[in-house]
Amino acid sequence: MKDVHMPNDVELITIPGNWNFDYRYFAGETASRFFAELKNSRRIMGTRCGKCRRLLVPARTFCEACYVETVSWEPVGEEGTLEVFTIVAAAFPGMPPPPFVIGYVTLDGADTSIANFIKGVDLSDIHAAGKSLLSRPRVRTVFSAEVQGRITDFHFELI
Amino acid sequence: MSRRAAVVGVGQTQYRRRHSGRNTAELVREAVTAALTDAQMDLDAIGLVVGGVAPDALAGIDHVDMGSIARPGIPYFRVNTGGATGSSAFLAGLTWIAAGRCDAVLVVAVERMGHAVTAPKVFNSIFDPIYERDISLSTLSMVALRATMMIQKYGYTLEQWAHLAARNSELSLLNDTLESPRRFSAGDVLSSGVISWPIHKLEIGPVSEGACAMVIAAENRVGSRPAAWIRGASGLSDTYEMGSRISRAEGALVDVVTLRRCAAQAYRDAGVVDPAKEVDMVEIHAACASSESMGYAPLGICAPADGPRFLDSIVDGTARIAVNPSAGAQAANPVSATAMIRIAECALQIRGRAGRRQVDGIRLAVATGQGGATQFSTAVVLGAEPS
Amino acid sequence: MNARPVYLHGAATSVGWGDSRRSLTDMIFATVTDALRQSDAHMDAVDSVVIAAHDLIDGRSLSSMVTAPAAGSYLKDEMRVDEDGLVAASFAAARIEAGEARLSVVAAWGRASEGAPDSVSRVGFDPAFEKPLGLQELDISAVRLSAWLARYGDPGDSRAAATAARSMRAGRSPRALRVPSRDSVLAYPLRQAEGPKWADIVVAMIIGAAPSPVRVGGVGHATDLPRPGERDLVGMPALRQSAEMALRGSARGIDSIDLFEIDGMTLVEEALALESLGLAAPGHAFEHYALAENVNRAGGSAAAWCYPAMGLMRLAECFHQLSGTAGATQLDTAPRRAMAIGSSPLGAQTHTAVVLERA
Repeated sequence: MKDVHMPNDVELITIPGNWNFDYRYFAGETASRFFAELKNSRRIMGTRCGKCRRLLVPARTFCEACYVETVSWEPVGEEGTLEVFTIVAAAFPGMPPPPFVIGYVTLDGADTSIANFIKGVDLSDIHAAGKSLLSRPRVRTVFSAEVQGRITDFHFELI
Repeated sequence: MSRRAAVVGVGQTQYRRRHSGRNTAELVREAVTAALTDAQMDLDAIGLVVGGVAPDALAGIDHVDMGSIARPGIPYFRVNTGGATGSSAFLAGLTWIAAGRCDAVLVVAVERMGHAVTAPKVFNSIFDPIYERDISLSTLSMVALRATMMIQKYGYTLEQWAHLAARNSELSLLNDTLESPRRFSAGDVLSSGVISWPIHKLEIGPVSEGACAMVIAAENRVGSRPAAWIRGASGLSDTYEMGSRISRAEGALVDVVTLRRCAAQAYRDAGVVDPAKEVDMVEIHAACASSESMGYAPLGICAPADGPRFLDSIVDGTARIAVNPSAGAQAANPVSATAMIRIAECALQIRGRAGRRQVDGIRLAVATGQGGATQFSTAVVLGAEPS
Repeated sequence: MNARPVYLHGAATSVGWGDSRRSLTDMIFATVTDALRQSDAHMDAVDSVVIAAHDLIDGRSLSSMVTAPAAGSYLKDEMRVDEDGLVAASFAAARIEAGEARLSVVAAWGRASEGAPDSVSRVGFDPAFEKPLGLQELDISAVRLSAWLARYGDPGDSRAAATAARSMRAGRSPRALRVPSRDSVLAYPLRQAEGPKWADIVVAMIIGAAPSPVRVGGVGHATDLPRPGERDLVGMPALRQSAEMALRGSARGIDSIDLFEIDGMTLVEEALALESLGLAAPGHAFEHYALAENVNRAGGSAAAWCYPAMGLMRLAECFHQLSGTAGATQLDTAPRRAMAIGSSPLGAQTHTAVVLERA
């Protein structure tokens, strides 16, 4: 817009704003039991789909692939395989201080993988650490000293 | 498709980090006016406007489209499929024409992510709040998780992606929709720092604002207008659960089953038998070099195991197919619009209106879109002839 | 060209408040599964999923990423409109008209107990000119009512009568929320009982190309000016235009419609719609609303309300009435033709109208 009445040096205004809304996410019976098992029994449970027979971990109310309710609860092993991972090396607001490792682990007995932090990895050299984790290493579930019924009650460590 | 249709108009603003000098409606108006001019049409010829805006939180205004894209007197609705929003809006407009509900559709996508002071926080809040948000996942870590699997499974190297990123940065200098293209070398990429291993800072598309608009017309409205005919168009969704997709019978996580399947469908509709031989150009929607390379095999332009070699042929200029001549989303990635821009770029190339980035002889082009947890895929095949 | 006819096969609605036994995705899965059961359909035969969901209502910044699979999107052609649920139904119908799909899930939801939709509505206003005033969606209803009152004067007892009729109908509906939920703060001149009954709502419908007793007769969409202050808030021209377009599609006049299910956030929109449609004389909206047995039989927003599920909920009510499955709200003579009207946020800037008819 070019207008003789408009000065060329008009100051462009930015208006501050925020975007905070409070929610209470209902975890529902299935995830609530999954978290209760973490907290009370320190074990990771999956639910099995009666159609494709996969043991889904973490526990799901229904199988997204078959679109049927899952039929049974079963615990999985404490050890598993680190399938894919990333090492977050830059700082982002609201995130833990870098570097840290996130990965998906297939626990023994499970047919799907679960996301969590991978701790205890030597991250002094990010590239060396990355290359070493490409071998799909075995990991073990480690529970926090204080559990509160959240996914962060446990993490994985290299065996 | 039951009714033939073509892209007859394309309009884009410049893409830049922040459009501080213009509000959203002004950005949209620029793109829309350009698209209508290109199509030689007035707004009153338009029977539907489809808006594309991805997460509202990026603009910090809920329903930012209502005050900027929606036009009084014309049916309007908005689609939102994350990164695929722009191509989903295109598919939705095409459906309206195919249904015979109208003869000309305006599809418009706009991105105001420059408003978001803490965009990474927004990108974390897309994840499942019950099982995964606490793990500090982000859109970038999703890309990086896949990249580690591409190294494991197909042997890609960080150096190859750095070279691809550098090659795209070189191309970006020719794209006049980019206000400040960045040129860098593979060495610059590798020394730019790791954001989320194996992803380096410089291979990630920048925060970008801007608007893209396209006019789609049914065959009876195309007339003598320069047209990019829509030969095939398909979309497919997948489970959210990345942990269920790592290695299933349909294909591994990085084989992008949804993209492979909807590309195959679009090729069938287009009568394309061997895309590696028939397709002249692809615009792959990928914000990072590694995710660009994840798109090659699903599009059928190389065999899965040949991915790394195909990447090398793009970098050394020997690939038969023009891959992302616009420089792709790595040069500008306005989230809401980015997948529409991929289609727009194909249409511009086919219509011979791509300016300095024009590639000779583009007769058949494919554009992809990816959204959500790489779970929404679209493929659109455009051709110089209707069939 | 002749579009393929579109038929409705079944509908399911779940209405609740803060049921912590179910996650949002659990609710969606259960309701879509119920709709499939009502339709004698199986997910394997579904080739299209269209959902209406809003990120801020769902508290998931890209809602469909997490929620669409619960509606059956797995390896299917799924589209999410960020709009009222009736837009999703219209779009799913377009896919069938186009021959792109044969059987589609349509689903829409809003879980008011999980978030704070009143606060969310405040960020839909323009940050430079409107948001600083602290407006919320319901304030547009209040302004609409005050404009109507200024034009026509106090309607006497008819407002209270309309409110009572609405509440009586909601009380009869099997698809109404019967427990306390959350009250919004309503601005003058709105009265508390004219407001919405906030609820957790999931609506799912199955529509397809295969013949069934109820089909889509016509679809209409219309758009108003963007800024509420620029609009004819009383006349709601976009509502009328959407209805006219839907009627043109069905090649019949408004007199042929036996039942109207109209979404409005408050009684005000529901009643003023009757003037906009020409069913009530100007200035007689509330009177007409109180007496009409064929308008919002299920109690409108007094029964349950949460954006963006409402247009689809109105369509489901029409479907139930046409197929004789409405329960306690069933019209004595099952209607042959019904119209559902849905609207979008910020004072109903867009409207969608769908005419259903017995095949």
